[in-house]
Amino acid sequence: MDLFDIVTPLFLSLIVGGTFVGIIFGAIPGMTATMAVAVCLPLTYSLGLNNGLALLLGLYVGGISGGLVPAILLGIPGTPSSITTCFDGHPMTKAGEGEKALRIGIVASLVGGLISLLILDLFAPVLAEFAIQFSYVEKFLIILFALSVMAALSSDMLMGIFSGFLGIFISLIGTYSIESGGNGEIRLIPPGMENWLESGFSLLPVLIGLFGLAAILEEAEKGVPESMSAKDVKIGAASTFSFGIFRNQIGNLIRSSSIGTFVGILPGVGGSAASILAYTGAKTFSKHPETFGKGEPAGIVASESGNNGLTGGALVPLLSLGIPGDSTTALLIGAFTLQGVQVGPLFIGENPRTWDAMIIAMLVANFAMFGIMYFAIRFMARVVTVPKPILFPIILMMCVIGAYTINYGIMFDVWTLLIFGLFGWAAVKVGIEVAPFIIGFILGPSAEIYFVKSLESFGDLTIFFTKSWIAIFLWVLIAGSIGGSAMLARKRRMQEAFAE
Amino acid sequence: MKLTRRAILATVSAAAILAQPLMAAAQELPRNVRLVIGSTSTGGDTYQNAAIVADALAEKLGINIKVDAVGPTEAFKAVGRDKRGTTLMMHHDQSYLGHLYGVRGYDDIFAEYQIGPTVAVNPGNAYLLPKDSPYQSMDDILKAVESGERVRVAIQPGGVSEIGFSAMKNAAKLAAPGSEENLVAVNTGSQSDKDQALFDDLADVINGSIQSNEQYTQLPADDQKAMRFVWITARPETLSQAPEAGMGKLSRDDMLKYASPETSVTLDGSKDFTFDKVFFFIYNKDMDPAIVKQIDDALAEIYADGTIQERQKEAFFIPDFRPSAEARAHLEEKNAAYAKVIDAIGAAQTN
Repeated sequence: MDLFDIVTPLFLSLIVGGTFVGIIFGAIPGMTATMAVAVCLPLTYSLGLNNGLALLLGLYVGGISGGLVPAILLGIPGTPSSITTCFDGHPMTKAGEGEKALRIGIVASLVGGLISLLILDLFAPVLAEFAIQFSYVEKFLIILFALSVMAALSSDMLMGIFSGFLGIFISLIGTYSIESGGNGEIRLIPPGMENWLESGFSLLPVLIGLFGLAAILEEAEKGVPESMSAKDVKIGAASTFSFGIFRNQIGNLIRSSSIGTFVGILPGVGGSAASILAYTGAKTFSKHPETFGKGEPAGIVASESGNNGLTGGALVPLLSLGIPGDSTTALLIGAFTLQGVQVGPLFIGENPRTWDAMIIAMLVANFAMFGIMYFAIRFMARVVTVPKPILFPIILMMCVIGAYTINYGIMFDVWTLLIFGLFGWAAVKVGIEVAPFIIGFILGPSAEIYFVKSLESFGDLTIFFTKSWIAIFLWVLIAGSIGGSAMLARKRRMQEAFAE
Repeated sequence: MKLTRRAILATVSAAAILAQPLMAAAQELPRNVRLVIGSTSTGGDTYQNAAIVADALAEKLGINIKVDAVGPTEAFKAVGRDKRGTTLMMHHDQSYLGHLYGVRGYDDIFAEYQIGPTVAVNPGNAYLLPKDSPYQSMDDILKAVESGERVRVAIQPGGVSEIGFSAMKNAAKLAAPGSEENLVAVNTGSQSDKDQALFDDLADVINGSIQSNEQYTQLPADDQKAMRFVWITARPETLSQAPEAGMGKLSRDDMLKYASPETSVTLDGSKDFTFDKVFFFIYNKDMDPAIVKQIDDALAEIYADGTIQERQKEAFFIPDFRPSAEARAHLEEKNAAYAKVIDAIGAAQTN
């Protein structure tokens, strides 16, 4: 390979520029990496394949990583895959540790991205062979494992499970989509509401309603909120961040990055599941699971290395099977087709230069993401010192714009934002837990499709236990996760009883 | 205030002068146009076609056209609301097949909307088998179902993916009534689900495309993923316009071997069934005929220039421009032919 034929100044500029724009997209609630790639896709026609891919992969890595900024600083996940970053990142911000949380998230993102890239480069065809061993049954069990975190995330286990099932129930409102293998029929819609609800509630508006608008309503209820002063926020020299934090996190980093990569290679499982599974894994294996959700750095490490691990993983089925691993890589197929390049099982062998260009672009994009974000943290972290009467209307405006644009201009998505903002505000008052609710909402549709398709394809429920050794292994993980949660709940109850 | 005759005249004249540009503007496309498509994917063939045509049309008319992948339900709603030409729609045969199959959200486009010009054909719709399948041809499959063997075909129901399957059932019924019951649909979603159904031995045949599946046909027979084509549904006249080199290792001549007349799936005992996936505009029913003509004329000039055809061919589409009236007649003819097939096998849903 003649490296300098590929790595031209334009190639590098497009990666860095794409990463920068992607970070901005990811950091604005309601805008996603997918949207960034979609907006820039037509540009790739004039750029040529390698340069076009450089831009798109920069946007992809930047878009996935940028989501951690609002998740940590504002408690609003910038993208669905940064949902679990909120759980520990935002409590750290509230404690004045926003900059430290950001730095942890960015380093974890870099490590996750690099590990997945290494796996992509070395094992892509082998992993693609492994991925096709996962039928509907195994995919359902993976979703079930991710759902098992619902119990672990709750302060009241029973209420958490109820909230999670409520999330699943609401996610199923609408049409059982033919595109996903359903029958095209509508269900769970009150009479007269078909015109509004036939497409169901979109994920992004629900997400930013529950986490963004609900938080603003809660603050508004308390009166004019006080803003954090620069003294309260540990920025710059005052920050307590050091790389030593990662000394105890090497196992977590490798495990979470691998989980993210693994989820990426399974088409259809979805990017959000990557960070949820990584978070579940970190909590299950932690010596102090009770600290998760209260500002535990290991939670941020797991979530961010998991979702960036997805970036390399999702390219495995794309480049080895011609099947996209997530919604963003689905767009990359468009870039290939526009240039008349086929993607499929022979792609890597037939297009070594494009393959090399993609690996280099991903590598540079990860370091560009790290460079841009790490050195801009100091300024980003000051967001929390902006007076809230100014900050909240801006957030609200961004949320509304994000909701309106996510499906290319559908007004019902803005209503969804408002409905779930009010729901999120009211839910806390009646004890419904938002974290398990949203996890149920995210994973519900996949769980339904894979469950129904498993039964349609294989006949009866025993198939979930007898299909393969992978299924047995997944049951062990599910049992471990649920058992761990039950033990944690029991320990918490005993501590409370002891304290009384 | 006292209204004099002069004041009334002045007001009316001023109003007329002000209204003139608005009336003139109403007869042509607005400066900013939204082209909604019947797919939510921005990586699929509908988006690619829409993007190529939108670019050319925007440049020709000096306007802005933004392609929005909102999906069929929202696209029909959006174009149904707007008769000013601010919102146009592009979709393919799914738009009327959905109605024929009784899929929710699909009205009769010929009654509820105006049909605009066609722009291109995707000739790639195909059916594939595992490489080690005992069936060598469509004849083998039809003979197998006739002899009572059950053949499972993975499709996405209710449209483009199903129409070829319906044609297979129709051909089986014509050859031996009742044998069509042995052709069983395995309902899946995306292309990857159909491929996976083949890998998992849940289907004997899958619907796919030349673009998505050609590389799988190059794999060695002992590979779990290896496939081979058994039928390409496009008309031979359409495939003849594809690049001679074809796609991957599948040359144009190879493609023609899998298409009518060499691979025959009969429509009525005398003619073969064929299916070209045609992309076309759909307008609001009451959109100004002057705007329809403006788009027809602009596209006629664009296609006469010839540059757009190069872009379409690079993306493996066959350029196919027909002005609105001709497009409507062509699509109505297709609609009627496919309605007969669907009625013959009773495949329409009842909702």
